[in-house]
Amino acid sequence: MAASKLSTVMTPKRWKMVRKGVQYVALGAFFVLFIASRRGGWAAEVVNAPMRLDPLGMLANLLASRTPLAGSALALVIVLLTLVFGRAWCGWLCPLGTVLDIFTPQRKLQPIFKEPARLRSIKYALLLITVIAALFTNLTLLIFDPLTILFRTLTVAVWPAIDRILSAVETALYNAPLLQDPINAFDKVARPALLPDTPLYYRDAALFAAFFIGLIALNWLAARFWCRYLCPLGGLLGLFSKVSLVRREVVASACTGCDACARLCPTGTIQLGKNGASDPSECTMCLECLRACPRGGETFKPVLKPAKLQPYDPSRRQVLASIGAAAVGVGVLRSETAARRDDAHLIRPPGARENDLSAKCIRCGECMRACPTGALQPALFEAGLEGVWTPVLLPRIGYCDYSCNACGQVCPVAAIPPQTLDDKRLTVIGKAYINTNRCIAWADHRDCIVCEEMCPLPEKAITLVESADSPVKLPVVNRERCIGCGICEYKCPLNQAAIQVYAIGQSPS
Amino acid sequence: MTNLTRRIFLRRLTAAGFSATGAILLAACSQPQADKPAVIVEPTGAPKPTTAPTLPAATAATLGAQPTAAAVAKATTAPAATNTAVQTAAAPTTAPAGLPYLVVARGGDNPEELVKRTLTALGGIERFVKPGNNVIIKPNMCVAYHTYEYAATTNPWVVAALVKLCLGAGAKSVRVMDFPFGGTAEQAYAITGIGDQVKAAGGAMELMTSRKFLKTDIPQGRDIKSWMIYDEILNADVLINVPIAKHHSLARLTLGMKNMMGTVQNRESIHGNMGQRLADLAGRIKPALTIIDAVRILMANGPTGGNLNDVKKLDTLIASTDIVAADTYAAGLFGVKPEQLAYIGAGVKSGVGRSDLANMKIEEIAVSG
Repeated sequence: MAASKLSTVMTPKRWKMVRKGVQYVALGAFFVLFIASRRGGWAAEVVNAPMRLDPLGMLANLLASRTPLAGSALALVIVLLTLVFGRAWCGWLCPLGTVLDIFTPQRKLQPIFKEPARLRSIKYALLLITVIAALFTNLTLLIFDPLTILFRTLTVAVWPAIDRILSAVETALYNAPLLQDPINAFDKVARPALLPDTPLYYRDAALFAAFFIGLIALNWLAARFWCRYLCPLGGLLGLFSKVSLVRREVVASACTGCDACARLCPTGTIQLGKNGASDPSECTMCLECLRACPRGGETFKPVLKPAKLQPYDPSRRQVLASIGAAAVGVGVLRSETAARRDDAHLIRPPGARENDLSAKCIRCGECMRACPTGALQPALFEAGLEGVWTPVLLPRIGYCDYSCNACGQVCPVAAIPPQTLDDKRLTVIGKAYINTNRCIAWADHRDCIVCEEMCPLPEKAITLVESADSPVKLPVVNRERCIGCGICEYKCPLNQAAIQVYAIGQSPS
Repeated sequence: MTNLTRRIFLRRLTAAGFSATGAILLAACSQPQADKPAVIVEPTGAPKPTTAPTLPAATAATLGAQPTAAAVAKATTAPAATNTAVQTAAAPTTAPAGLPYLVVARGGDNPEELVKRTLTALGGIERFVKPGNNVIIKPNMCVAYHTYEYAATTNPWVVAALVKLCLGAGAKSVRVMDFPFGGTAEQAYAITGIGDQVKAAGGAMELMTSRKFLKTDIPQGRDIKSWMIYDEILNADVLINVPIAKHHSLARLTLGMKNMMGTVQNRESIHGNMGQRLADLAGRIKPALTIIDAVRILMANGPTGGNLNDVKKLDTLIASTDIVAADTYAAGLFGVKPEQLAYIGAGVKSGVGRSDLANMKIEEIAVSG
């Protein structure tokens, strides 16, 4: 009875409105938490909650790190949600899914290519390889996790670009005296709360933008192409959905086989000619089909038996193939030269190197967002292909702020260990070396003590010595004291710094 | 229906976006290059009438109105220095009738009291701040690392006391800012304690955005003829320079002139010829008043600090409208001779100020409690 009452209040149109409302609220919340992830924003355990809600990231991290984290248990909320409502996460909550919905071209809902169903197995393959690779302590494929994709892209490409555009507009308009006060007022509100007060730079921002644009562009081949065929998190939730409670069922007596529902389904799971049957592993519970059926034949109700297997579901053969692929893949990645010897400039965030970062990092980019100087950058190949997009500190782009421990706080999986500021100040991430052939003081005998001036240590790790051969004071590094924060390299006035920080473990001692 | 409206909405949004971009481009292009310096330079002329006593035209007028000898009691017996000063740069060479050229206040454990007594001796805050003025106070908040006890940054209560005085004199706005080299400004404002005290005193902390550093001509400059200087600092009616006195390896000490580095960009390049370049900048930026905070001074490991053993508590303020004179006096606190500080020599030579302490009217105040 309650159900029928609900159905009279909640017309299909209203269901759609409610779903869209929830989607936009969830996307908005993701944006707000993204913005508040900056150092000086909200509490770390609040802002990194979306990452900890992600069952794929948390599962892979658990398998690779073999360390259960209390915070990761948050992901069970989404697992439970899925066991009850199937892939409702995908249709109602996933911020990337909502972005893809926004950029869906009309009248192009269904694939424009043949045999689309076979592609659906890609996401399971990706999922299985990700999970099995995680058993080999490899998390590289988490770069395809939808939450990390969105967060990373916002950090590296979208937000800096918005800042750059707004700054250009502000600078141009600032020439008009009348506009100066409103611009100052805007800056007061927006910076640093929303946008950085000094511009941040990220390496290869265009690459990240292109990846994201490509992902959206796939929507022109089929609506939610990513969610249907590729998303490994969708695959994981799809497996849970095989036994989910509430499912879409068609009232056989009402169905005339008109296929209106099939045409409207954004994941294309409603099968033509099979009385509108659908696969709960593909259904995102978006409820669009309610609207389609002219005879009200669509119902969503509790079903207790497991869903039927589909041809694209992972077979024993596919599982075995995935194990093989993961093993070969990890083997190949670890045959790279990067695995033999780390790059001398692979400076990790404080404490992360000793903490086995590569076996824990889920590539979400929270640390890069939190880093106030923009020092933390996505690694390209410093750590080999295996470590792609893990955080690496580039002193020439930014330095490790002596009064900041934000990266360790915000990391959702403690890949960068959370440290007190006092401990972080003692954590050595590298050691500075002076190239005396280029140094202004050493090579050209001109006054320059910038590195010494900048050194933040109470007992400076860079000191100035007098020499009979030189009319000016010469900087030297006291390697016992140096923690490798890199402010010396960052501030060196030369176009290529004459003082450089080398990763620890590499330096001749 | 909804699809259609979204489409129309997007179409309009795009159209609006394009027209806005077009308008901005047009606006940007219609500002010819020649306009830019005008925008920067014009407002910098504004402070002249409002900060009258510190500027030469007004000073000359004062001198003209009264017998010179009476006006400057024992203040000027160095005519050579005075002449070069008047000719080359707009430096204050004398103080108005009866007022000391430089004030030193010492003692007590209350920085606010020190500030009040110092300003009273200088002729009151009203001498500098007129009702409706836009005031900027520039403390030294060069790093975001330590609390004020470490003497790497200006004492918060000194800054706050100045904020209160300026507001009391009817200033329209009192803003406090610096552009730290270590850590973010937001963090520096918080950790140094200055942010809290300034806000409690009714002032505003302002973040310096990098796009407001504009290329500015330095016509009187001997080494640098232009530099990227913060627009707002130049546009303020009154700029009060409140450095902390501390150790610095190249400059030996960082005092008033060196504190001006927080208002410019490309600081690393200043180091090439630091003495003259600091003098050139000080001659262009011209703070109306320099108050050197020596409540605590940092004797070593500056300018960043971090070791309480390097800190010496002196409970002293040094104030003058002449930035060079203030620096000269402050150097004495460290036992450093003015000749050892390149920027003092350059400042005198460039006519930015004076270093002949013996010939100045200096008022020393003992403050208790």
